[in-house]
Amino acid sequence: MARMKFICDTERCIECNGCVTACKNENEVPWGVNRRRVVTVNDGIIGQEKSVSVACMHCSDAPCMAVCPVDCFYRTDEGVVLHDKDICIGCGYCSFACPFGAPQFLSKGAFGSRSKMDKCTFCSGGPEENGSVAEFEKYGRNRLAEGKLPLCAEMCSTKALIGGDSDIISGIFNQRVSLREKNGKYAGSKAFGWTTAYGGPDAPAPTPTPAAKIPGAK
Amino acid sequence: MKLNFRTLGLCFAAAALLAACSEPPEIAAKVAKRPDVAPYMGANNGFMTKNWIPGNQASWAESIDKRTQGQNEYSRVK
Repeated sequence: MARMKFICDTERCIECNGCVTACKNENEVPWGVNRRRVVTVNDGIIGQEKSVSVACMHCSDAPCMAVCPVDCFYRTDEGVVLHDKDICIGCGYCSFACPFGAPQFLSKGAFGSRSKMDKCTFCSGGPEENGSVAEFEKYGRNRLAEGKLPLCAEMCSTKALIGGDSDIISGIFNQRVSLREKNGKYAGSKAFGWTTAYGGPDAPAPTPTPAAKIPGAK
Repeated sequence: MKLNFRTLGLCFAAAALLAACSEPPEIAAKVAKRPDVAPYMGANNGFMTKNWIPGNQASWAESIDKRTQGQNEYSRVK
């Protein structure tokens, strides 16, 4: 079974915010809520400025799920962390627990009353009927049920943000870093977060699936 | 007869006072989680891609994997 994840390649992200725009448009996310955003560090320092696109990372051991007092979260068989807005009480515990700031709340009124939580769904909707109007209005599009991937990743012009089965996307990223190292432009095994995510330089590298081995691929 | 009215009145008063004892709990009933339908079952709209069969998990996974691999320029170009 696939385990859906996002990876953002900081060497490729150009801070265009195309992913943010794609997400807002595809899911008709209301004003004031950003399911995805681009974070830039070392702004203006030549050679050191890096940008990364951040949303819900669909953690394997999600802290939001652990702290929710009404237990509104669930994880699908594809590893996507979703929540039921009919159960959510908008308490905000999940936003304090999340290290990525993924849970979002629409502020209503002058005294900061909050809506129910809203976050990236990996474009896979919620517990309503797949592709229904009710699902779209509460959670946005269910692209996975349409045989597609999240639009933020599919729209990314530099393919900095890629999404899908973790084995495949980590293979793609591994291939890129290996090529950079081979070309002498980048020390692959020293890439930011590389050892944390994929182990040290001695760890066997995952091999990307060649297109020839995928039925139907050109 | 006069005694009966008094008894009846006492009964009403007792019922009114005891009504407080039947106050419903203020904790909202726990809403049961609804099961989510798996994405390989397909979406009930006209936006589905055509290269897989709704309800067939293997064909959906194959289609999604192919699409995921499509994000790799190196496998697309070669």
